[in-house]
Amino acid sequence: MPPEARTKRPTAGSGIPASRANVARPVARRGGDPASSSPVFRLDDLSVYYGSFKAVRNVSMSIPQQQITAFIGPSGCGKTTLLRCLNRMNDLVDIARVEGKVLYHGVDLYDEQVNPVEVRRRIGMVFQKPNPFPKSIYDNITFGPKVAGVKGNLEEIVERSLRRAALWDEVKDRLKDSAMGLSGGQQQRLCIARALAVDPEVILMDEPCSALDPIATGRIEDLMEEIKTDYTIVIVTHNMQQAARVSDMCAFFTAEINEHSDTRTGILVEFDRTETMFSNPQDERTENYVTGRFG
Amino acid sequence: MASIPEPTVPTRKRFDSELHDLKVKIRAMAAAAQSMFEMSVDGIMDNNPELLQEIIGLDDRVDEYYLELEQRVHDVLVRQTPVASDLRFLTSLLHITLHLERIADIAVNIAKLGLTVARLPRSENVVTTLGEMGGIALRMIEASMDAFARRDLHLCLQLPTMDDPVDRLNRGILEEILPISDDRRMLEWGMQMHVVSRQIERVADHCVDIAEQSAYMITGEFREFTDASHPV
Repeated sequence: MPPEARTKRPTAGSGIPASRANVARPVARRGGDPASSSPVFRLDDLSVYYGSFKAVRNVSMSIPQQQITAFIGPSGCGKTTLLRCLNRMNDLVDIARVEGKVLYHGVDLYDEQVNPVEVRRRIGMVFQKPNPFPKSIYDNITFGPKVAGVKGNLEEIVERSLRRAALWDEVKDRLKDSAMGLSGGQQQRLCIARALAVDPEVILMDEPCSALDPIATGRIEDLMEEIKTDYTIVIVTHNMQQAARVSDMCAFFTAEINEHSDTRTGILVEFDRTETMFSNPQDERTENYVTGRFG
Repeated sequence: MASIPEPTVPTRKRFDSELHDLKVKIRAMAAAAQSMFEMSVDGIMDNNPELLQEIIGLDDRVDEYYLELEQRVHDVLVRQTPVASDLRFLTSLLHITLHLERIADIAVNIAKLGLTVARLPRSENVVTTLGEMGGIALRMIEASMDAFARRDLHLCLQLPTMDDPVDRLNRGILEEILPISDDRRMLEWGMQMHVVSRQIERVADHCVDIAEQSAYMITGEFREFTDASHPV
């Protein structure tokens, strides 16, 4: 689907920009400098709290458009917490709150004028474990568009989304079959197709391949590479080789220990082109982590 | 008070052990190549056919080091997927082993040239110049490998300066050979020594290249110290 088609959507009252066309800027293509791509998100001194516990501290970074940005770092460094801030998924946690700003095309996502439901439609999410609805393949794809009140041709949306997720050829003859009968890799691609069906601009992926075998992982990675021409992808991964393989930009986070409370707070250590992060990182902590010597 | 957790627990012990073994092995290879080159220069200086003949038999050992190191680097790349400074060490090591193997080949070339002219009359001036060039080149092998082993960027950057007198002496050696060209047998010797001079100069160039690779390993940025096609 051409990008301009996906920008024609009702946005009244969402509080966020109506169209990517409004913010379209030259995008670095393969071989260019990913860092020079215009940002979709700008995080400005962002801290995230769960109650009084500070989970992530003072993160400032820009996430480029139509590129794959990977968040890497040890467990408990706040990668997933930060990812969930990018589409206000943390709103679903009562005690979660943010300080600082998450700007999406210059608009503060946490402004009270912004509708979090619209945010999550624009900024989709794929989770660690495939989580298809216990419904048919067809119903999984059409669920989001129906909730969003889409009146268009649902069959077309189903085919387009499944093709985009490289799943169409495998399921086109059994769209009414239960999604639960698909393999793990197929289920995860279905979840990606489901996310694409509501026409998002950004896909957030939280360890999307951690439950998949290498072949299924390869297919998801190929898929990411293919769809990044139309979508911005942010992925959290524990698999550093995956980050090295698929991402254009890479952010390394670590945890600092508060000795009084024995709690860990995530901090951003280094954010750069992936080639640089894996060949010549500037911070010793990044070097220790990517070389596997963090222990 | 917040603090960053220190990497106190050693990890990847096997990987580190493999990298350490490679460092030891390449030092041994360098020592073998350096020894061959030293013998070749001594063999020319002393006109010692036995010593020169011995060098030819030593080349197999350096070739074995080269093949073994290359295989082991490939194994580490496959099994350990190194990145960052580890990857730079391994790619530099692959380049450096090739340079060392070439230095050993050059030692054999010099030995063969020396053997072909062993019975011919010599010019002591030319021999002295070759000895001077050989001495500098030997120190350059040692310096470049020290810079690699100790990750000494400052020392890496000294190599082009060390190379300058070798280049100068090589350019001047023809002037030393021409005065002896009236004697046909001495001319034949002189022509072979002209090639020897060029071979020694190549050894010095290999040492500059080793320093370039070492600097890349240290800094992560590759730049040529000297560029014959674009002289400053």
